[in-house]
Amino acid sequence: MILVVAEQREGKLNRASWEAIAAAQHAGGPVKIAVLGSAVDAVASELAAAEAAEVIVVDAPALEQYTSDGHVMTLAALIAEEQPSQVFLPHTYQTRDFAPALAARLQRALITDVTALKAPRGAMVFVRPVFQGKMSAEVTAEGPSPHFVTCQIGAFRADAAKRGSAPASVRKAAIDVDASKIRQKPEAPFKEAKQAVDLSQAERIVAVGRGIKAQEHLEVAEQLAQALGAEIAASRPICDAGWLPMDRQIGSSGQTVAPKLYLALGISGAIQHLVGMKGARTIVAINKDPEAPIFEIADYGIEGDLFEVVPALIAELKK
Amino acid sequence: MNGPPADRETLEVDVLIVGGGPAGMSAALRLAQLQKEKGGEQLSIAVLEKSREPGAHMLSGAVLDPSALKDLIPDFKEKGAPLASEVHHDHIYFLTKNSKFPFPITPPPLRNHGNYIISVNRFVKWMAGLVEAEGIDLFSGFPASELLYDGARVVGVRTRDQGIDKHGAKKSTFEPGVDIRANVTILCDGVRGNLTKALVRRLALDEGRLPQIYALGIKELWEVPKDRIAAGTVIHTMGYPLRMEEFGGCFLYAMPDGLVSVGLVSGLDYRDPMFDPHIAFQHAKQHPLMESMLRGGQMVRYGAKALPEGGWHTIPRVYADGVLIAGDAGGFLNSMRLKGLHLAMRTGMLAAETAFDATRANDTSSAQLRKYEDRINNSDVRRELYSVRNVHQSFSYGLLPGLMYSGLSLVTGGWWVRDPMPVKAGYEHMAKLADYYGDNRPDVDVAVRPAKIDRKLTFDKLTNVHFSGTRHAEDQPSHLIVHDTDICRTRCREEYGNPCTRFCPANVYEMVDAGDGTKKLQINASNCVHCKTCDIMDPYQVIDWVPPEGGGGPQYEGM
Repeated sequence: MILVVAEQREGKLNRASWEAIAAAQHAGGPVKIAVLGSAVDAVASELAAAEAAEVIVVDAPALEQYTSDGHVMTLAALIAEEQPSQVFLPHTYQTRDFAPALAARLQRALITDVTALKAPRGAMVFVRPVFQGKMSAEVTAEGPSPHFVTCQIGAFRADAAKRGSAPASVRKAAIDVDASKIRQKPEAPFKEAKQAVDLSQAERIVAVGRGIKAQEHLEVAEQLAQALGAEIAASRPICDAGWLPMDRQIGSSGQTVAPKLYLALGISGAIQHLVGMKGARTIVAINKDPEAPIFEIADYGIEGDLFEVVPALIAELKK
Repeated sequence: MNGPPADRETLEVDVLIVGGGPAGMSAALRLAQLQKEKGGEQLSIAVLEKSREPGAHMLSGAVLDPSALKDLIPDFKEKGAPLASEVHHDHIYFLTKNSKFPFPITPPPLRNHGNYIISVNRFVKWMAGLVEAEGIDLFSGFPASELLYDGARVVGVRTRDQGIDKHGAKKSTFEPGVDIRANVTILCDGVRGNLTKALVRRLALDEGRLPQIYALGIKELWEVPKDRIAAGTVIHTMGYPLRMEEFGGCFLYAMPDGLVSVGLVSGLDYRDPMFDPHIAFQHAKQHPLMESMLRGGQMVRYGAKALPEGGWHTIPRVYADGVLIAGDAGGFLNSMRLKGLHLAMRTGMLAAETAFDATRANDTSSAQLRKYEDRINNSDVRRELYSVRNVHQSFSYGLLPGLMYSGLSLVTGGWWVRDPMPVKAGYEHMAKLADYYGDNRPDVDVAVRPAKIDRKLTFDKLTNVHFSGTRHAEDQPSHLIVHDTDICRTRCREEYGNPCTRFCPANVYEMVDAGDGTKKLQINASNCVHCKTCDIMDPYQVIDWVPPEGGGGPQYEGM
């Protein structure tokens, strides 16, 4: 049995949880989904739509706000009860915070940032990036189960997660969460930047690069984004110049995204940018330079002047 | 850099070592040994290192002369020293664009019998383990930003504040730097170390010495088919892609399992302001000799670092009240043998011995610490460096005079009619565009001798930077301080054509459209691989390299 640990915050499910569910289903065998928190019934019933043996809810006041101790403690107890063969998690910031501690506590293998599974019904082989995404390594887990596996955002498709014919049963696990053993005291959440955006949740992204030339030209990209219902993002030089805030930056020093559609306007495709968006399902690149590396990974490439192509696209979308 | 006084912590130690490279680690180990040999009250020792983990900023060819290692850690083999391969084959070639001419004999300084090809990253990581096993505090991720003085006496260092944003304001993660006070501070902050540079200037420790001459080493680590080159093969080349007027050459060192180090060292005393060492390296890899070795392989790491090549006459006074200088920071490198690791280790050990005695004698004055210089003069360091004291200087007169002098020096023990051979600082060699190109002024935004980039054998700088693994917190002040960016737009653009955009091997400096038809300087500080070339080679000397936030910088795994 594979246990998937879903992630929620303030009663809102993180979309990446569905990706971990899809990965677990792909791996084969029964899947159970755990969700931790306080008053998370809505999230649990949302998850129950998945084809899963059951959804296990650990509901405790001490879990209302995320703490790594709370998660480690609770999941250790839940794993002892459920004895899964593997535990799948989305590779989110939260997972990065508690999963290493959990794996260390239980002295089990942890394989992070997994992008693919191979021979899913034999001894499972996990593919994960090395050298900052330039190469992939195939690894297997050693030691007793369960093994912990975190799934890279965008590597598995959320919409590929199988839905059950009837909702899965939802069960509340009887696990005591001792608030006195939680050493972290969460402060009120704050946002470093105003209007911080989580581009990893965006389904469509219009990204601009140096080819946009001047800040006032951003408008044309914004119009396209609006017409597509997309988020606007940028490669590094645009954010460096202050034309867009840093939280819109995609790449090795910005966010990693995997939208369904990624439109790259005037982005040459330096490797630093590519590692942040190569997981996008469909990549469309518009660039004047036919030699631009972005065309090597684009599904659709338009060699041309973005100031001619983009208005035409907008006009077509508005029809 | 440091803001208003904050709740700054203070730490007191007996001996502080700044820089966890071969010199610093050797100093730390030697101190631990002396402690054990001589007993007495336990000395407190700390090592500061700016990289996130030990060894991460280490870059060298590298071929190790094990002489100092044998003395410092006689059982280095049992202790598992990561020596990739003993050197079995030495080759040296003179290259023209398409051909190679083997030297009839391998000149004695380039004979590597008994030496080892190593990854200096792995080697220093290994040393770090030994240092920590001795119970010495190794603080990695803590750059020292300034020296603390009591009058002219060095009394320690201040580490850099963490958590300052781009505009100099404190972020929620702000942590003030720590004052580490020490009886003796040993500076092992490497080539063009920021503290050593400040100290040498403040106390005029370079008085009566020649200006240091540097070179820039650019290196890639490759994985090639396993049976292509025998492990232990060492190849050095001269000539192409460098011209007669440019000092330097290529190296290729083969390790087991098809791992190959390949690089180009070019003197930072070139004349042509349009010279681009990174492009020259691409040309080097396209040479049939190199191409035949690398073809079908894969580049896995990239890095660059300056090296001090001036030799004996350029070494500053390496002691002052409360402070000693060791390793590359002091310029202890033999440019004729292309080796500095053993000298870094040796001077680290000698500095440790001096610091130990001084601390025990409760006298860390300049007069006492001067014994470090005596130790150096009585050691192999002087024997080795003195005989080649004029070599790099002779190459300032061109390749052929340099080669002739080098050959002669093997017979004469380094003597020259004018000794020391006079020389200018490297950046002063750079000619103005008008003087070099006359009426044929090139377009300074386009390479004069471009290399075809295929991203298989040859790479653009930005792609290469990715493979250095370099990372910096983005929201911090630039750690490359250009004191006058007006010069960049105006005088430098006209006179030299912004050579920083070419000599920087990491695409840190770019001239971008200012929006009014002119160009302005953009500093991509987070690309920096800490090679120090800009600080060294800028013709106006207006660039200051200061350490970025702790942990920032390259990740030279396996380099």
